[in-house]
Amino acid sequence: MSSMTSRRDAAPLSAFDIDRRAALKLLASGMALSLASCGKPPEEIVPYVDQPERVVPGIPLKFATTLDMAGYGRGVIVTSVEGRPIKVEGNPRHSASLGATDVFAEASVLSLYDPDRSKAPRGPKGIASWDAFGDALRTQMEKEKKRQGAGLRLVSGRMTSPTLLRQINALLKAFPQARWYRYEPISDDNEREGAVMAFGRPLTTLPRIGEASVALSLDDDFLGAGPRQIANGRAFISARRAENDPDRFLRLYAAEPALSLTGANADHWLAIRPELIRNLAIAISAILRGEKPNAPLPPAAQRFATVAAADLKSKTGKAIVTAGRTQPPDVHALCHTINGMLHAPIDYIEPVDPAGKHGEALHAFADDLSNNRVETLLILDRNPVYDAPHELGFNGLFPKLPFSAHLGLYDDETAAICHWHLPLSHTLESWSDLRAHDGTASIVQPLIRPLYDTRTAHQVIALISGALSPSSYDLVRETWQPQAGGDFESWWRQVLHDGVIAETRHVAVSAQPKAVDIKPAPNPTEAVLVLAPDPSIWDGRDANNAWLQECPKPLSKETWGNTLSISPRDAQQLGCQTGDVVALTRKNAKVEAVVRVDANQADSVYATTLGHGRRKAGAIGNGIGFDVYPLRAIDEPWLIGGVTIAKTGKSRDIPTTQGQFRLEGETTEFLPRVSLAALAAGLKGPPFAEEPKPTLYPPVHNDDPYAWAMVIDTAACIGCNACVIACQAENNVPVVGPDQILRSRVMHWLRVDTYTDANGGIQGFQPVPCMHCEHAPCEPVCPVAASVHDREGLNVQVYNRCIGTRFCQSNCPYKVRRFNWFGYADDEEYANLGEPPIKAQHNPDVTVRARGVMEKCTYCVQRISRARREAEKENRTIKDGEVVTACQAACPTRAISFGNLKDTGAHVNALRQHKQHYELLGHLGTRPRTTYLARLTNPNPDFDEAKS
Amino acid sequence: MSSLALDRVETPSQDTRRWVLENGQSDEAVNRIVSAPLLQRHKWTWRTWWIAFAVSGAMTVMMIVSASWLLIRGVGVWGNNTTVVWGFGIANYVWWIGIGNAGTLISSMLLLMRQHWRASINRFAEAMTLFAASIAGLFPILHLGRPLYFYWLTPYPNTMLLWPQWRSALIWDFWAILSYLLFSIVFWYVGLIPDLATLRDRARSALPRKIYGAFALGWRGSARHWHFYEVYHKAMAALAVPLVVSLHSVVGLDFAASLMPGWAETIFPPYFVVGAMYSGFAMVVVLAALVRWGFRMQPIITVNHFDVMAKVMLMASIVMGLSYATEWFDAWYGGDHAERSMLTFMFSGSYSPIYFIMLFCNVLAPQAFWLAAARRSVAAVFVIAVIINVGMWLERLLIILNTLSHTHLPSMRHLFFPTIWDWTLLFGSLGFFAFMFLIFVRLVPSVSMHEVRHILHEGERP
Repeated sequence: MSSMTSRRDAAPLSAFDIDRRAALKLLASGMALSLASCGKPPEEIVPYVDQPERVVPGIPLKFATTLDMAGYGRGVIVTSVEGRPIKVEGNPRHSASLGATDVFAEASVLSLYDPDRSKAPRGPKGIASWDAFGDALRTQMEKEKKRQGAGLRLVSGRMTSPTLLRQINALLKAFPQARWYRYEPISDDNEREGAVMAFGRPLTTLPRIGEASVALSLDDDFLGAGPRQIANGRAFISARRAENDPDRFLRLYAAEPALSLTGANADHWLAIRPELIRNLAIAISAILRGEKPNAPLPPAAQRFATVAAADLKSKTGKAIVTAGRTQPPDVHALCHTINGMLHAPIDYIEPVDPAGKHGEALHAFADDLSNNRVETLLILDRNPVYDAPHELGFNGLFPKLPFSAHLGLYDDETAAICHWHLPLSHTLESWSDLRAHDGTASIVQPLIRPLYDTRTAHQVIALISGALSPSSYDLVRETWQPQAGGDFESWWRQVLHDGVIAETRHVAVSAQPKAVDIKPAPNPTEAVLVLAPDPSIWDGRDANNAWLQECPKPLSKETWGNTLSISPRDAQQLGCQTGDVVALTRKNAKVEAVVRVDANQADSVYATTLGHGRRKAGAIGNGIGFDVYPLRAIDEPWLIGGVTIAKTGKSRDIPTTQGQFRLEGETTEFLPRVSLAALAAGLKGPPFAEEPKPTLYPPVHNDDPYAWAMVIDTAACIGCNACVIACQAENNVPVVGPDQILRSRVMHWLRVDTYTDANGGIQGFQPVPCMHCEHAPCEPVCPVAASVHDREGLNVQVYNRCIGTRFCQSNCPYKVRRFNWFGYADDEEYANLGEPPIKAQHNPDVTVRARGVMEKCTYCVQRISRARREAEKENRTIKDGEVVTACQAACPTRAISFGNLKDTGAHVNALRQHKQHYELLGHLGTRPRTTYLARLTNPNPDFDEAKS
Repeated sequence: MSSLALDRVETPSQDTRRWVLENGQSDEAVNRIVSAPLLQRHKWTWRTWWIAFAVSGAMTVMMIVSASWLLIRGVGVWGNNTTVVWGFGIANYVWWIGIGNAGTLISSMLLLMRQHWRASINRFAEAMTLFAASIAGLFPILHLGRPLYFYWLTPYPNTMLLWPQWRSALIWDFWAILSYLLFSIVFWYVGLIPDLATLRDRARSALPRKIYGAFALGWRGSARHWHFYEVYHKAMAALAVPLVVSLHSVVGLDFAASLMPGWAETIFPPYFVVGAMYSGFAMVVVLAALVRWGFRMQPIITVNHFDVMAKVMLMASIVMGLSYATEWFDAWYGGDHAERSMLTFMFSGSYSPIYFIMLFCNVLAPQAFWLAAARRSVAAVFVIAVIINVGMWLERLLIILNTLSHTHLPSMRHLFFPTIWDWTLLFGSLGFFAFMFLIFVRLVPSVSMHEVRHILHEGERP
């Protein structure tokens, strides 16, 4: 009980014992602090590109830093306007970014300004101070010191930060009895153990997809969301360029229980039960060895195995087989064996995340808790009460602890039952360092002084170790000082400038896989629930980010929540349809899920995503979707058996942005697909060979030096949505909320259309911004000339002239215009998005639109304008590549090109001469400036029917 | 003199007199029947009027509440969405303006075509026009995202030197409505002057005499007055015909001057004019039946009137049917994929039940008028006229919903679901119309006395 007393002693000012004078003092100091809080951090930080003599108001600065994705670093360059970071872009020098971003990186800038972020420490008696926590912690640590930390437990996520690792290791040395548990709800335990089985040690596999000619994914969503998405996407598309030698053009096979982004981009896709993927792998390995496959497989899978294996074998040295996280370790091990046989282009590296299995860590932690071995618990930015399997019963175990503290951005589910909640600084407010999935290290440098009274994990660990006012900056520099050699200061400047520390990528090691003994699985009978990370909010940590919640999922186009996808046959058997609510039960856990019937799904497989159904995420994320963590098993986190499903009789509307109507065969017209073979044979026929229709209109001609145009290569679009969120961040595009999405009032300026074949199979993705038609149908119909053309060929919208007749949108064949039905950014914001901190994210170069006004894609006119100012200063025209639109900058596969048609050497001019080039709805005579390259496929002629 | 010459018809007076029953066939009888409700209030029971007035007043309040909420919260309170950017607002506008067409058509086109029976109905038909056109004019303003700036549609001088964009059909529309409204007011008022003088002369108390007298502008019924009146009225009627045709043609151009399948059709202007005449006529029939019943005007508004109006509606329904068929044929014959899939959507898409109801209301139901018994039953004509009005409203709605919902790119195809605010504004506007009409019949002679008197003496030589 002594700890209770000490905590009471250390209690900070309570709201009740402040007198008037004290209140006024606090008010004054609060105002002074808030005035001073925006600005550069006190330590020197180095701008990336521009190095002005001083900060010029209105001129944005760019700084390289690193963002965290599931513990791995992703190098980015952040634009800062007068001390406010407003936009994240990729860092071309960083191997996990390659100059591009993903939705999470783009949206991180919104999380920074989230009004729901924790602003001050909270103690057992309410709002407290860091000093109060320090006092309480010191008393607690005195006790731990005596018993060598026997009661001290640290819980964190995946840890790659060299500084943090150094600090924690030092701490564990000082407290040898203490334990540190690391876990991620989306772990790579199966890959790790598979590598141990094959190589005897936990090597990480880095396939060089860019060098492959054939790839087979066994439920491995390597193009889907995750720390490697950008790198994999870039490599995948670089291997699928039409310019390549047709022999080198990558052909992708995918076998999956439920369609993923990887499956949607595959040339051949097989729907298969997850347990049978093992048999598929066994069959392929047998065929490769020249044996007769005898693992039981359905006929379609047998044929798939035969054709894929033959194709893999024919491309030995350039063929890769990968297995996903749902597959058990021995399948991973078998893949290593197969890759060994194929001499696959793969790098094996020592793991960047050196910890053991995450599942075991959680188990050991729960064990400690239930055996009362934990006295002092510190949770570093993890939320086990929400995202650990509920079987472990953390919810009941936590309150029994004598001392528990939670460090995090939000006062979340775990924080709620800890004694202390400590506000964590956002990555954009922190000094730190991180390693990417391939080991590349980079520095996290802050863009802004912490908005609130927050601290970094470095500071908190240092606090535990007894430091009084630790500085993350000093801690990070201390880590790197020995490695920098000679002149540390200039090394440091260089590293901050580059955003990456040279030669830190883990070197590939040579490894020979052992043959593994693997038994085929019997034909499964029971239904199985397959889980996957959510493409928008990953494991739920970003659930309070409104951009991510409203980002349409790449395949289903759902926003604001998750659904349980089931096959049409299962739906028929259950007697339910899309929108019905079913109850999923496993042991004591019951979850109510909304059904979505999906043709791209194996029978008896139910699939859904993690991360939704948060109870204490904040105003945005609370109660959105349903939480499937309760159903998760400790040792089987991905494929969950023993689940019963039952109708509840309820139904719910699913907020989707597309798919209300069935396609009527438009796919071939709007998203034409051409096979590599047809391209090689010199393709003919519409829409490629379409001659321009005769017109009475004179050609658009002026002597302006610019005619802006965009070409989007649909063959390169993997559907990742990075462009959608990049556009939202750049152009102050408001969030409308689920109710407005249900009313079909999405505001995204750029949407990604998906097209399907007659059976519902995804045929590809088509990003659709404004077409900036030369004969724009929206212009002549506007009664007040708010929609007009400028001399550079931009179709511009004059917001303050618009009176909202909406005639422009009704006459737009592409329906790319967006109307402010309510004041989405004008005092009628969704949830807490109208609160002051959010406004700090707004790009000052872009108008925030009022209610009743039409808006749309501007080709990032503010960026063109900036480039023009720079060019005019130097008395020249804008060079090709000088203007990069936000969507273009974000695209991991460089599917979007933008440039000046009057510049004969411009890349867009070359692309417009391309054989795959076509105009969307060109026959209407709109003469769009945004045009497309047709989707490219590479089906195996050995298959009778390609994935058509 | 030429206008008088126009009037000199050779038909026997017996033919024009058949539009008035025996007990109304004198100047005094006509004046008595029409003016009694206005000048002998105490002898008249107004109970039904008060009930109707209260109901329509309540609906008017509902409209005001609905419009106020719309202005406070924004146009998002309606069911419109990013794809179906237009909805009830524009449908209501087109429907009301269509009804607004009929009054002028009756008073001018039928006048020029020497359809004498129009005399009994033209006064309240013109009033209907006025009210309907005023209500119609409200909707395009209420539907704006920023209604406070509606005046930007006018070419007013401003420091920015900004003018409206003359290529937009909405500007044409704006001028068409405005000129039509001004015209209707003048036409209606001038036609009223002789009757206001009659009321002045028959008034028993001072106040009505003064009020009617002031508005009668000193009309004495001299031959010179009548001469000017006739010249003026004919000239206005001649002007009205092209105006009324252009008005709804321009409304049709709002849609036709576009790129959207189902809208970009050359048939739209004439098809809209016929549709407008059709729905307006149906509304006149409804009002005629009510006025006849409410003010015991059976001697003046006879079954013969309903018979002939039913024939007009029958004709119009056939023209509408032909227009629909032309649309279908063109969409098919044109061979354009978007047009054809649009057609398929009309017949099998989500709105197809409404489309079939619309076809029944506008094309099938009026075929009952082939039977003389149906034409000569006021109840039957009334019911079918109401059905036609419902059908025409559905047609206006579907023109918008079908094309916008089924847009070119399938990803953006979305359905429209109206909200409570859509419905309250629609029914509120109906209530407001009834409200204004009830005030009109209470204050102004609802049938043109001088024109009915005129047909009693048609062909007579002085």
